[in-house]
Amino acid sequence: MNQKTRTFLQGLVVENPLTVIMIGLCSSLAVTTSVANGIGMSLAMTFVLVTSEVIISLFRKLIPESVRIPIFIIIIAAFTTMVDLVMKAYFPDLSKAMGVFIPLIVVNCIIMGRVEAFASKESVSNAFLDALGMGLGYTWVLIGMSVIRELLGNGTILGMQIMPETYQPILFFILPPGGFLVFALFISLNLFLKKKWLKSSWGCPDPEGGN
Amino acid sequence: MPVALKIFISALLINNIILMRFIALCPYIGMSTDVKQSIGMGFAVTFVMVMASTVTWALYHFVLLPLGLEFLQILVFILIIASLVQLVEYYLKKSAPALYLSMGIYLPLITTNCAILAVTFDNITAAYTFFQSIVYSIGVALGFTLAMVLLAGLRNRIRTAAIPPFLRGNPILFVLSSLVAVSFMGFAGLIK
Amino acid sequence: MIKSMLKLGIVLSLFASGACLAMAIVYSITGPVIKTQEEQALNDALKEIFPDADSFKDISKEISSSDPKIQILNAYEIKKGDTILGVAVKATGPSYSANAILLTGINTDGTIKQVRVLQLSDTPGLGANAANQGYYVDKARKITFTGQFIGKKTTDPFIVKDDVQTLTAATITSRSLSAIVKGSGEAASQYLSRKGGAR
Repeated sequence: MNQKTRTFLQGLVVENPLTVIMIGLCSSLAVTTSVANGIGMSLAMTFVLVTSEVIISLFRKLIPESVRIPIFIIIIAAFTTMVDLVMKAYFPDLSKAMGVFIPLIVVNCIIMGRVEAFASKESVSNAFLDALGMGLGYTWVLIGMSVIRELLGNGTILGMQIMPETYQPILFFILPPGGFLVFALFISLNLFLKKKWLKSSWGCPDPEGGN
Repeated sequence: MPVALKIFISALLINNIILMRFIALCPYIGMSTDVKQSIGMGFAVTFVMVMASTVTWALYHFVLLPLGLEFLQILVFILIIASLVQLVEYYLKKSAPALYLSMGIYLPLITTNCAILAVTFDNITAAYTFFQSIVYSIGVALGFTLAMVLLAGLRNRIRTAAIPPFLRGNPILFVLSSLVAVSFMGFAGLIK
Repeated sequence: MIKSMLKLGIVLSLFASGACLAMAIVYSITGPVIKTQEEQALNDALKEIFPDADSFKDISKEISSSDPKIQILNAYEIKKGDTILGVAVKATGPSYSANAILLTGINTDGTIKQVRVLQLSDTPGLGANAANQGYYVDKARKITFTGQFIGKKTTDPFIVKDDVQTLTAATITSRSLSAIVKGSGEAASQYLSRKGGAR
């Protein structure tokens, strides 16, 4: 596979930000109590990640080394603010449900980490792909977790009753301890997927110049 | 029971920032390998958190609000926190080099510590007074330290335990946290 | 040395200005939308509590809470023509996870007309049921958590498990919300008695 595809796919499993690199956890566990929140957060985070990585990559030659962190912060904060404002205006219920976690995107380690390690050194297209991959890696874990938590803990998905009426919701899953436990399971799941991936031909470390 | 005490206990135990609200998980998982380290991190966080609360509170109420610039809150708060951390680092380097060396790595990490930003925001949404926000910050910071120390202690214990292969490493830490969180839920009825 | 610092300062300012400009643009578009929404939500809530009313007068400055934990955000004198129907108080107080905001309507005779939950972010399935109109604290008589306050005197003790019914496994939320209703009721009654009650 070529370098570009590899860059994109890294963030999905092998270097999944949440379950492998273990960053950006703050905003994730708390919002997975419902699928609606999970989707909202994934979209918001991915938006800020992609826009930040792209802009910073675009300006990477113009950002002086010594003040790069404050500049990164300024850019990330600006995009986070925009997401916050747009959500407050057009999705007020979702915004209220997620509370402080939307502004917290600005300190989401994923964004700062990728921007520092990747976007500030790579081309715009690479930065875009990396952001997209990481964003998707974040998204599948988040939505997966919120589906399990909402389904088992409330019997619903997106507010629609899925479990039969007689199902007694196991509140544990919606409460904090449940969040920790479900996340533990996802880390294991990801480890398993990663092993399989690396063994298969897709994950084979390619010599210079692709497959 | 005075309001301030309620705020404090709520922040420390009932609504523990890590175990109940999931905030500041990155340093919680990453830095809780050693009890001493956790305490050190706790000190640093308490210090920065209280300072950040006071400065951001003042700035919000005396500058942003009167000028109608609330939408700059995210940007201004995070820049203040980042600057404060820089200042603390600089000051420590100069006046207490030994302390700086032992805490060295944590300091830059505190900037992205979700807990600090979360607390500065909480002070505003909960409409705390200046004094209340200080009490709240101390409570949260101590709650953070408590959770970290607990996990560090637990990690020590399980070093020699037989853990099933698919739970080794990070998964077991979260299972442990899950159990500690359950125990913390017992604090729910602590204050009326 | 100074020159390089100046250059850094300028670069920083440029980025900061660019960021602020971008944010200001988004704010100019979304700001009005957000304001209209909040007004709309408030109007809808007020209409729901006092359907006969035809005017609301903002009396937020003339009313205050005696409970330090409860803050009055807004208060309105509800009128139909020249007659005062009652007072609506929008108050906030700490709840289980974050602050809750309730809108309480108080009649001129010192009883509560209705309580509406405007903002509550407590645990879904537990505390959040306070806002759930399909969840009954009294299943036999089909009374919801907020419904139980209808007709209640503002001078009542408002003690959970005593004269206030709790949400299952959500005593803290029940206590917090009941405290907000109590604070709102007291503040409104004080205002109304100052005004001389119903005319």
